[in-house]
Amino acid sequence: MARRLLGLAAVLALLAPTRGAGEAVDVVVIVHPRRTSQLSLEDVAQIYLKRRRFWDDGSPVVPLNLRSGTPLREHFSRVVLRDSEARLAEYWNRQYFYGIFPPATLASTEAVRRYVASDPNAIGYLPGSEVDGSVRAVLHLR
Amino acid sequence: MSDPKSERGAQNGRRPWGRVAGASLLAGLLVVAPRSAAASEDTPERAGTEVFHLDTALGRIDYHAGRGLRLGNTGLTIGGFAIVNAERLEGGESRGDLEGPTFLFSFEPVPFLRGFAELETTELAHVRSGQSGVRSTPGVDIERLYGEAGLNDALNFRIGKFQTPIGRWNVAPAEPFVWTTSEPLILEDVFDDKTTGAMLRGSFFPRDGALSYSLYGAFFDPIDPDAEAPPAKHSAGAYLEWASLGGWSVGASYFASETTTGKWHHLGGADLLWRPTDRVELTVEGIFGKAPRENGVLAGFYAQAVVETLPTLYAVGRYEHFEPAGDDPAIDLFDVGFAWVPFYWLRLKADYRFADHLDERSAPGLRASFSILF
Repeated sequence: MARRLLGLAAVLALLAPTRGAGEAVDVVVIVHPRRTSQLSLEDVAQIYLKRRRFWDDGSPVVPLNLRSGTPLREHFSRVVLRDSEARLAEYWNRQYFYGIFPPATLASTEAVRRYVASDPNAIGYLPGSEVDGSVRAVLHLR
Repeated sequence: MSDPKSERGAQNGRRPWGRVAGASLLAGLLVVAPRSAAASEDTPERAGTEVFHLDTALGRIDYHAGRGLRLGNTGLTIGGFAIVNAERLEGGESRGDLEGPTFLFSFEPVPFLRGFAELETTELAHVRSGQSGVRSTPGVDIERLYGEAGLNDALNFRIGKFQTPIGRWNVAPAEPFVWTTSEPLILEDVFDDKTTGAMLRGSFFPRDGALSYSLYGAFFDPIDPDAEAPPAKHSAGAYLEWASLGGWSVGASYFASETTTGKWHHLGGADLLWRPTDRVELTVEGIFGKAPRENGVLAGFYAQAVVETLPTLYAVGRYEHFEPAGDDPAIDLFDVGFAWVPFYWLRLKADYRFADHLDERSAPGLRASFSILF
């Protein structure tokens, strides 16, 4: 009986989500101020998975990530892409078979803000406290 | 700036001088170029583990493990993969192979145009039980070669030789992209895994997912066809997939092929992928109908589960049932094994295949592979 309970506990542990859902991190998705269209969480996810590659006006979207291992990026991946970094690596491996590469990365949130402020096609994310008038906030993730 | 004398020289057939000049120019750009294009914190970098980079007048040339070599601002990236296979089958036969390297060339000069090629070097090295030493009969196969244009997400046009979009496995069937060392029987010579022709494809994004379609047809002489399993003279098909951001997707396939007698055969399929958690992945795929090169009706499916038991270590199990066309008996298979993915660019797999009877399509035994993306 004890073995069965242990086995059941192991199965449940495998099926359980790996992180709590209640972490409160204020992340804001930003675009160039010239971009006036609204974006939903799903829109942002499709852009960062490179399934959605163009803005509504036909310009190519340039999604920007922080470097791998950054806590803010991990939070973004969890909330928006609903996946772990390991799962996303599998996804990008399959895309690599078609010559499609993950979004480019920048070294800091300051660099993301500066880049998005300078490129009308770019999209990035920042902590809410770092958003200023040089960029436009399109989505708040908490 | 181009040199008019060099251009005239090339026109007059003095190509060796043109090559020397070109090589010298490239070397100069690589070695002598000023470092003004050096990456700063404000320059986006490619994702992945960078092995080296070189700042040149062509832009930043960089190599990332498992993500290829990007040649500056040319839009060209060259990568690929290589595989070492070993197997010991029930009955005593053993063999080992070096598959590849397979090179992937991706050329995207502007966001609306893309060229892609997959070239596989074959039979570089193989050993068999009963044979002495390592043998090699090298060659090169053009696995894929196409160009693609698209001005939006909903409509893209592809022309050339491409992977036939049937089901889930055949979309990316190479070793580094799958969880087991052997592919399911429903993919083995059942349909043309490559199509030389044209394809319309696109995606729409209603609500919580992506609805993607592919419509394709084989209209041209096949590019570098498989001599052992030549593709149908003409074929056409469609694939429709709904991929939810919630971790599941479903797809439906249709494939029609013209036989050598002029009759058309029809094949249908369905597939499902479900990821209930980060550590569990379930895949089911089935197919039913008449294959291009067989007259009877065939049917089959597989159900595969992948569970991350420890970080980077995955347990894999797959059950298959296949009913071949004709009088051959149905086959039941079970593959069980593991995959270790210590880095995203490296994968080691080992699995054992059990079969209810011996069949050349489903030889039971132990198989292992080591695959690397470069």
